[in-house]
Amino acid sequence: MRLPSVVSMIEVREVTKRYGAKTVVDRLSFTAKPGQVTGFLGPNGAGKSTTMRMIVGLDAPSSGDVLVNGKPYASSKAPLREIGVLLEAKAAHPGRTAVSHLLSLARTHGIPRSRVDEVLDLAGLSAVAHKRVGAFSLGMGQRLGIAAALLGDPAVVMLDEPVNGLDPEGVLWVRKLLTGLAAEGRTVMLSSHLMSEVSLIADHLVIVGRGRLLADTTVADLVTAEGVRVVTPAPDALRTTIAGPGVTVTSTGAEELLVAGASARVIGLAAAARGIPLFELTPQNASLEEAFMDLTRDAVEYEASR
Amino acid sequence: MKITPGGVVAAEWTKFSSLRSTWITTGISAFLLVAFGMIASASFSGDGLNSIDLALSGSTLAALSVGVLGALLGAGEYTTGMIRATLAAVPRRLPVLWSKSLVAGAAAFVTMTAGAFAAFAAGSAVLNDKVGSLGLGDDGVLRALFGAGLYLGLVAVLGVALGMLVRSSAGAIAILAGLLLIVPGLAALLPDSISEAITPYLPSNAGSAVMALTQGDGTLAPWAGLAVLAGYVVVALAAAAYRLKTTDA
Repeated sequence: MRLPSVVSMIEVREVTKRYGAKTVVDRLSFTAKPGQVTGFLGPNGAGKSTTMRMIVGLDAPSSGDVLVNGKPYASSKAPLREIGVLLEAKAAHPGRTAVSHLLSLARTHGIPRSRVDEVLDLAGLSAVAHKRVGAFSLGMGQRLGIAAALLGDPAVVMLDEPVNGLDPEGVLWVRKLLTGLAAEGRTVMLSSHLMSEVSLIADHLVIVGRGRLLADTTVADLVTAEGVRVVTPAPDALRTTIAGPGVTVTSTGAEELLVAGASARVIGLAAAARGIPLFELTPQNASLEEAFMDLTRDAVEYEASR
Repeated sequence: MKITPGGVVAAEWTKFSSLRSTWITTGISAFLLVAFGMIASASFSGDGLNSIDLALSGSTLAALSVGVLGALLGAGEYTTGMIRATLAAVPRRLPVLWSKSLVAGAAAFVTMTAGAFAAFAAGSAVLNDKVGSLGLGDDGVLRALFGAGLYLGLVAVLGVALGMLVRSSAGAIAILAGLLLIVPGLAALLPDSISEAITPYLPSNAGSAVMALTQGDGTLAPWAGLAVLAGYVVVALAAAAYRLKTTDA
């Protein structure tokens, strides 16, 4: 496979999209860079799909700019080579076979028939290449969409909820495929409303809620340490020992303390120096899922009442 | 590897030819043309109609059928969601409309011209004795037969434009049927002076003029009629192009 020769990147700059009075995307800015997987996260209704549609020019932003590989998408001479895209909704005529569907897209760019067979093979659809798309399961439809996205051997690959409807084997396949594409130096972006799905493969996270940017971060940075759980028969002695600026200690049980602002290593050394026995010394990390929920709590569009 | 006009036309041809409904609708159109031509040729025994008129008497129904073909091609992009893949591949958008129109128009022209010749041949073979037979060499016969193909080709393009404009198969077909069948009927209900003035300019009447061997008072000259129909098609295409270019897909 060829390495992208042009700068491969998605740049979203101060983009706003309004439908009537409703603002679906609100001054959103982020950049998806080459060589890494960018996870585009947010609850349902956060404006992810709309943003992706604006990136490939299906929807026009009310204001702001979207650049694909440094230029507006519509100005490209070979759009399928710039970016391959899988959108959430089905984008194929049910009466056409998988081969005809891909061929009709390939012909626009003079992409040879051999490449169509190649992507069908890659997506594991060779056996059903001559079946009509209307008879496809949700998972097969997703695979066809991904095959279409790869047709032009694009520098950027952007997939909206790619693992929707895929079986576990398919989910694994998508993960391997996307990390492989990023390793080749391509820009990879995928959206999801599930943190667990994205955290496994994404290097970079763009988190949105109600159309606004909530965080532009990495998986490692999002998992903030909550503190260290300490179990000791002498909580009061330990409390005095480790007290200092920036360290807060809360009692969570008769023999239990939660220490924030000091690492497990520092606490352990201090306790040893004073001869205080420790039964347990455990760093407490907020799970990614929790961090994500905290971040998006106020931005959930449709929420179950509690 | 890049987008070329020829590539977009080839892509639209692939879409056109890879749907079963395309072949069924095209087949029905040709069948209507030939079948009605034969039935009319065999059964008509009065005055006022020549063998070309009889052979092409299925053209109104064939027009509806090729118009539906065009409408399904245009609106089908939207009803199936294919438009998203189509426009992601061709983000300039308008080449899609032009290519789709070209493919539908050319395919309808070729098949319906062949259908018109077949209808004339079959009609002549079973022609009622009381109607004088005509040959291909007679005045206006070739023009009428090729004209039938042009007329039906233009109606197919009209269907594509309406389909892309209203983005719904049912809506596009309703407008098409209204233009071709219902509007002429409504016009006939108007006071005679108004009715006579506008009737020749209605799409179906104007287009049919190219298939007539002789021109009565109420009809346009053959090529003038075809040009009027082409005018309707251009207006519909312009509206479709405007909507395609300016609204979200």
